[in-house]
Amino acid sequence: MKALLLSLLLFPLAALAQAPVIEISGANFRPLPLAAPAPVAQDPGAKKLAAPFDAALSYDLSASGIFQVLDRASFTADAKEGMTAGSINFSRWADVGAESLVKVSLAQDGGSLRAELRLFNVATGREDLKVAKDAPADQPRKLAHTLADALYRHFTREPSPFLTRITYVRKAGSNRDVFVADWDGNNAQALTQGGTNILPTLGPSGQVAYTSYRKNRPDIWVQTPGGEAKPLVTEGQMATGAAYSPDGKRLAYALAEGESAQIYVANADGSGAKAITDTPYGLNTSPSWSPDGKRIAFVSNRGGSPQVYVMGADGSGVRRLTFQGNYNQTPDWSPRGDLIAFTARDERNAFDLFTVNVDSGKITRLTQDQGNNEEPTFSPNGRLILFSSNRNGTPTLWVMTSDGSNQLPLPMDKGSWLTPDWGAAPASP
Amino acid sequence: MGMGGGNRGGGRTTMSEINVTPMVDVMLVLLIIFMVTAPLIQQGVKVNLPETKATPVEASDKKLVLSIDAARKVYIGDAEVSLDELEAKLAANAKAQADKEVYLHADRDVPYGVVVEVMAAAQHAGIHNVGMITDPSGGGRASKAPAAKPKEAKR
Repeated sequence: MKALLLSLLLFPLAALAQAPVIEISGANFRPLPLAAPAPVAQDPGAKKLAAPFDAALSYDLSASGIFQVLDRASFTADAKEGMTAGSINFSRWADVGAESLVKVSLAQDGGSLRAELRLFNVATGREDLKVAKDAPADQPRKLAHTLADALYRHFTREPSPFLTRITYVRKAGSNRDVFVADWDGNNAQALTQGGTNILPTLGPSGQVAYTSYRKNRPDIWVQTPGGEAKPLVTEGQMATGAAYSPDGKRLAYALAEGESAQIYVANADGSGAKAITDTPYGLNTSPSWSPDGKRIAFVSNRGGSPQVYVMGADGSGVRRLTFQGNYNQTPDWSPRGDLIAFTARDERNAFDLFTVNVDSGKITRLTQDQGNNEEPTFSPNGRLILFSSNRNGTPTLWVMTSDGSNQLPLPMDKGSWLTPDWGAAPASP
Repeated sequence: MGMGGGNRGGGRTTMSEINVTPMVDVMLVLLIIFMVTAPLIQQGVKVNLPETKATPVEASDKKLVLSIDAARKVYIGDAEVSLDELEAKLAANAKAQADKEVYLHADRDVPYGVVVEVMAAAQHAGIHNVGMITDPSGGGRASKAPAAKPKEAKR
């Protein structure tokens, strides 16, 4: 946690002084060819921690969408090549197509692990970035995320997704349990033990709200990090789809009653709830806040089929956003504001992911012919989308860039993983 | 000769060389081979290039260069690799795979079979354009005695 805060404080300043910026969006975007040889362990202790560190760092860089991480099998550099510009044979790195080179050394000092990362421009042989970070020796992956974040900020001048947290549901037998984890699905903790717990959402201060049947009826419960679960919304026949406003002060959710379901907005503690939709027989579900907290996207079947709509956070100015297909659901509003990702069922009854531009209504397809792909959720910086896909048999979590490229499975253990939600900020106490 | 019994036909000769003919057949179909001039190519590996009169293509120094020196050692850039690992290295090489082209920088005294093996490795790795780096400076025949020309290789 300390290292994490430190990086947040230090890196915006360090990054501003640097020239190279990767423009992530736009027609001219091209991932930067990056060589990242295995970290060099300075002692036997670091040697043991190098593998998990390396796995986490390599995954972050590969999934970032801004790098083309080069295959280590092609490398021709001397295995004993040093860490400094003077000792590196840059022509060998140019020969494997690298434009940038990242070298990392690891050293263990008692209970802490220290990593030093250096970034070189292969064409000029210049050292562009040098970062040294410490972490407890039992958290090599955390240390890797911190360094990956530093690299990401250097190139994009934006915070990376690597230090954020996610929540999701594990399906095991008849149980559905809620987990929170690091962005890559590792370092996971179970928040519930058995029963049916679904549709979790991660709030800005690390609290997780989810629908639980622990009182034999579907209510929304909330759990703060390290705290006990408490009931949050117990009205109606069924409360689902909790979503915290970006400032964390309000909670939107759907309450089903008889033939209809309405969207409510309440204070974060559940008080002062007020319905903001009012359709006598229709279903209104799955609210998702705009980044400025002024609007809410949701699903409604008021037009005959489930479609994505947008309205003011007070329920005013309802506007239909999707007109293609007859089954569009689970909208998630990008933190950048421009796009809403959603799940659509196509004519072959397959579920796939799309984005719709909030202003123009332009639809972009993100997945196709890869099983069912559902429940998109944007990273806090809006560059990546996490989703659930059963393309390999059981549903598991996948990540891709917001335009649908670079689709990768999260490096998680085997299991059935569903309904991810990407939190806004690191879950720190 | 003929000591290695078991040869039918009385053991006049033993076929100990690789038969490159089938490989050449395949490669002539799939490989595009062209001549490249040397001056732009700065290589760490010392080789005596063949001299030719053929009109060469002006070399781009951005392409990956494979070298074979007089001792038949193979290099990617200036890094020595074994012939066994060459194909895997090239298949993983982002630069060669993006260009689909490499330059071959081989000593004039390297046996044809070795050159073909390197070209076959490149072809198996999906690289279909091979530029043969030659020395046009003398304009002499390729068969000229090696001593007739100054050494081309640098450093």
